[in-house]
Amino acid sequence: MKDSEILVENLIKTYPGKVDAIKGINFQVAAGKIFGFLGPNGAGKSTTIKILTTLALPTSGRAWVGGFDVIGQAPEVRRVAGVALQDIGIDPLMKSMELLVLQARLFGASKADATMRAHELLELVNLSEAANRKVGTYSGGMRRRLDLAMALVHQPKILFLDEPTTGLDPASRRDVWREVRRLNREMGITIFLTTQYLEEADELADTVAIIVDGKIATEGAPAKLKSQIGQESINLVFESSEIAQQALNTLEKMGNRIQLDRDTVRLYLSEAAGSIPSVVNILQNAGLSPISLTLTQPTLDDVFLQVTGQRLVAPEGLGSKNLRSLRQLEGS
Amino acid sequence: MDTQNNTLPHKSYAKNNALSLPVNIFLLAVRSLTTLLRTPEALLPPVAISIFFLVIYQSTLGKAADFIPGIGGSYLGFILPLSIVSGSLSGSGIAAQNLVRDIERGYFDKLLLTPVRRSALLLAPILAGAVILGIQSTIVVSVGLLLGLTPATGFLGLLVVIGLGVLLGLGFAGFTVSAALGSGSAAATQGASFLFFPLTFLAPTFVPMSLLSGWLEIAAKVNPITYVLQAMRALLNTGWDVKAIATSILACLILAIIMYALAAFALRVRTRRN
Repeated sequence: MKDSEILVENLIKTYPGKVDAIKGINFQVAAGKIFGFLGPNGAGKSTTIKILTTLALPTSGRAWVGGFDVIGQAPEVRRVAGVALQDIGIDPLMKSMELLVLQARLFGASKADATMRAHELLELVNLSEAANRKVGTYSGGMRRRLDLAMALVHQPKILFLDEPTTGLDPASRRDVWREVRRLNREMGITIFLTTQYLEEADELADTVAIIVDGKIATEGAPAKLKSQIGQESINLVFESSEIAQQALNTLEKMGNRIQLDRDTVRLYLSEAAGSIPSVVNILQNAGLSPISLTLTQPTLDDVFLQVTGQRLVAPEGLGSKNLRSLRQLEGS
Repeated sequence: MDTQNNTLPHKSYAKNNALSLPVNIFLLAVRSLTTLLRTPEALLPPVAISIFFLVIYQSTLGKAADFIPGIGGSYLGFILPLSIVSGSLSGSGIAAQNLVRDIERGYFDKLLLTPVRRSALLLAPILAGAVILGIQSTIVVSVGLLLGLTPATGFLGLLVVIGLGVLLGLGFAGFTVSAALGSGSAAATQGASFLFFPLTFLAPTFVPMSLLSGWLEIAAKVNPITYVLQAMRALLNTGWDVKAIATSILACLILAIIMYALAAFALRVRTRRN
């Protein structure tokens, strides 16, 4: 517990009406790291963040943030943790300068200190020029950045970000990523972030935990998780799904695992690149020729598929190759 | 994005935070007032309606003082308190609307994540609402003066009239705020404000108390509005009536105690972690 900024033990949350939101989760986040909590809608991500930020109580289990008990030491937790919730809680009639000054003053800063802090933060999130505009006129990306600034007014050691880029366009999303990385690297802030985007977790997190249906399915560094399921694959696209089926039958004995998805055959191999000639050879002998052949490294998506048996579908397209043509996750 | 100047001074404000409750209330009340004044479209209609009825009553019933006994002065002085009281009732929803807006927008949660005193979350919008009520009552009284009102107790008496209007509004605000905290819904809060409307008529609204009888008399006797109207009317038409003023203040306080006990309970439920 000494080295962990966040420690979670057997956390369970049951809502009235016997809805189990989280079903006994354990994890820890080391100081100075970015922890990505990845899962589909309704998996228990927001519930976990609400408990860790003192907005909700667990049904059972314990958790510490910055060394403070989230149940018994809520005021202390609020002082070491900054929080940007999924629903951006800002008043559209207020100006960002006013919101930041008020927020800083509620944390005990003098008027002068609060004003100085607000200026610094607006600069940090690149909103100085919009400081005296009503927040209602801001774009989604600007609101997110303001929300991030508001979470930082009291110099937290730990930052909780609940789906910080959901609903943002790709450019704003990258802006937020850049900020998150900067806060972590340059200011040493430990970051707990939930996301439905595999790409986001892969991009930002030192450690990823995949939560599905209230339970942690797997946890580890993205690279480690990818190497565990560990295989590259050769992807072969054929003219029709019938031909793909024939190719599947032909190649079945070659790889460790083989998959058919409509007109595409995915062959998982330990030495994929080196096996390309023999794969092509076998196909030619069988009179089958693919219209395209690509090699892919494992992605977090593959990890997700491996541990959950299903694919993760983000709410709106990221334009990422990882997320293209994915099926809706059942029951999410 | 700008990459220079990204080290922030590492001075934690959080450690030495010991803001007093009045400072908490002041900070949040200023913020509530700021947003209220940015939505004049929500503040003007209650005043406009109060003035409209004042003018209508005065023009249609202005001669009534001649044949209704017990009015004790000008009909304007008799009916102006009704305008102020109805303004107080509709204005009592201001604090609640402000609060429910914050709850719906998630700003309330954001405030809960700060060390803010929980009671300030309730008292600040109410204080802001009281300021608005004071301004609204002042406008209505000013229109009364323009229509020819000559208050029996002078300028000081007018201040007491405005003060009573605010006090009554504050009592009712406790109820609408409870509805806001309890429901978290703007529609329900709006609905709660309408509940008071009939109360205005279960009182010596258009005729003096002496002319009421039966169930209406009983209803009027337990209605705090009755005592506020009577005190205001005395102040405007007959002179300083310490007993009437004391009774009306007492009536408002009893109302406020009940309503704020309810509001405090609703606040506890709303801010309870579950």
